[in-house]
Amino acid sequence: MEDKYILAEWMNNDLPKEELDQLKLDPDYSIYNSIREHAAELNTRDFDEDSLLNKIKLRKNDTGKVIQMAQNWFFRVVALILISLGVFMVYQENTNVVEFAKKGAKSTFLLPDQSEITLNSDSELKYKNRNWDNNRTLHLTGEAYFKVAKGKTFEVNTTLGKVTVLGTQFNVKARNKRFDVVCFEGRVQVNHNDTTIILTQGEKVSFENNDLIIQKKTNATIPSWLENELAFEQEQLKNIIEEIERQYNISIGYDPKSANQLFTGKIPTNNISVALEIIATTYQLQPIKISDLQYELIKMNEI
Amino acid sequence: MKEKKNICEEVNFTAFFRLHAQALRNYLIYKFGNEELAEDITQEAFVKLWQNCKDVPVEKAKSYLYTVANNASLNVLSHQKVVLEYSKNNTKLDVHNESPEHLLEQEEFKQKLIKAINNINETQRVAFLMHRIDGKKYAEIAEELNISIKAVEKRIHLALIEIKKEIKNFK
Repeated sequence: MEDKYILAEWMNNDLPKEELDQLKLDPDYSIYNSIREHAAELNTRDFDEDSLLNKIKLRKNDTGKVIQMAQNWFFRVVALILISLGVFMVYQENTNVVEFAKKGAKSTFLLPDQSEITLNSDSELKYKNRNWDNNRTLHLTGEAYFKVAKGKTFEVNTTLGKVTVLGTQFNVKARNKRFDVVCFEGRVQVNHNDTTIILTQGEKVSFENNDLIIQKKTNATIPSWLENELAFEQEQLKNIIEEIERQYNISIGYDPKSANQLFTGKIPTNNISVALEIIATTYQLQPIKISDLQYELIKMNEI
Repeated sequence: MKEKKNICEEVNFTAFFRLHAQALRNYLIYKFGNEELAEDITQEAFVKLWQNCKDVPVEKAKSYLYTVANNASLNVLSHQKVVLEYSKNNTKLDVHNESPEHLLEQEEFKQKLIKAINNINETQRVAFLMHRIDGKKYAEIAEELNISIKAVEKRIHLALIEIKKEIKNFK
């Protein structure tokens, strides 16, 4: 028996009279009728036909040109060269950039967005050149001063914590177990373990061995090391000696047990004898020059 | 030599677009319930048609359009509720001073109808709405869906039965 779709015929007003009469006897006929009538009133929401047409016209013209070019061998060669060049450049740009300052030296350079960075002695900075404006993330080992150009979030990662900013000037130092951040302009966010601290202009924060040891105001407008001075606050002798070693690129022998007081004060980075004298006086030690590159600090009573 | 008639000319294309854009977009809405997606695919289909207009004779243009749209929508998995509205100016059904109860009943029925349409099988819904909303002939629907007229009739017949069942279930 051939299928006959009575309802479809009825919907189309094609149903022969006797079948229609029979359908009308169906108890559901009134529902069918309501469905048919009301469904005809239905509509989708309006849409902007003109704007769609315009989009299509724009796209048609765009791709139309490309098709013509691709058919010409000359353009194929040009395209091939351009693509190779592009791949080469992307490859170039994609590589990591490493900037560093050797012991006894400092280094100043610009990032792709014209942010200015000065690396203190024996420090290293790594970042990706590609898509820098949208992904301003870098890795710091050591200490650096940042003058960040306005733009997207700027992130400095260190092994001790993370500093996030939006365009500002700040100093980050991450050495041994000590993590110092000073904000000179704008606002920075410091993440250390689970702690998050927001610094505003003229505030500094220091962590040592995972503890917050300093959080205070400072009057400095640039890091002291840019003015040939090292400013320390509640710093261990070990860290100070290491910093002096980095600044002058020398090695200093001393007995780590000779002092456990913390040092607060300033030490020049352009005069080794004054620098050592300050440490020596504070900790009651005697500086001895062994060679241009080697010094010793020994206890007074051992002389 | 006489040019084969096609729709590459902007005037022809525009006329063709005006004739079919709304219906194609509606068809895609019945399928997916997503207006944005429906408009994107409509755009895609018309762009493709125009780019290949030299190879598509005018009498094949419409089925080409629906084929491209169907291919473009093969990967679409998420189906949303189809948003339908009742035409505001259509009052001819209830002109004669009807009782508030009756009007309320009718309003309820209309809402149930939209729900029921959304609950039935996609192929049935598509055919049913193409016929009801866009007023297409069964032959036209068959051409666009690339199925036989008999199959269209079957889908519409079943759609009506399913919608009726759904509406009765709501009661």
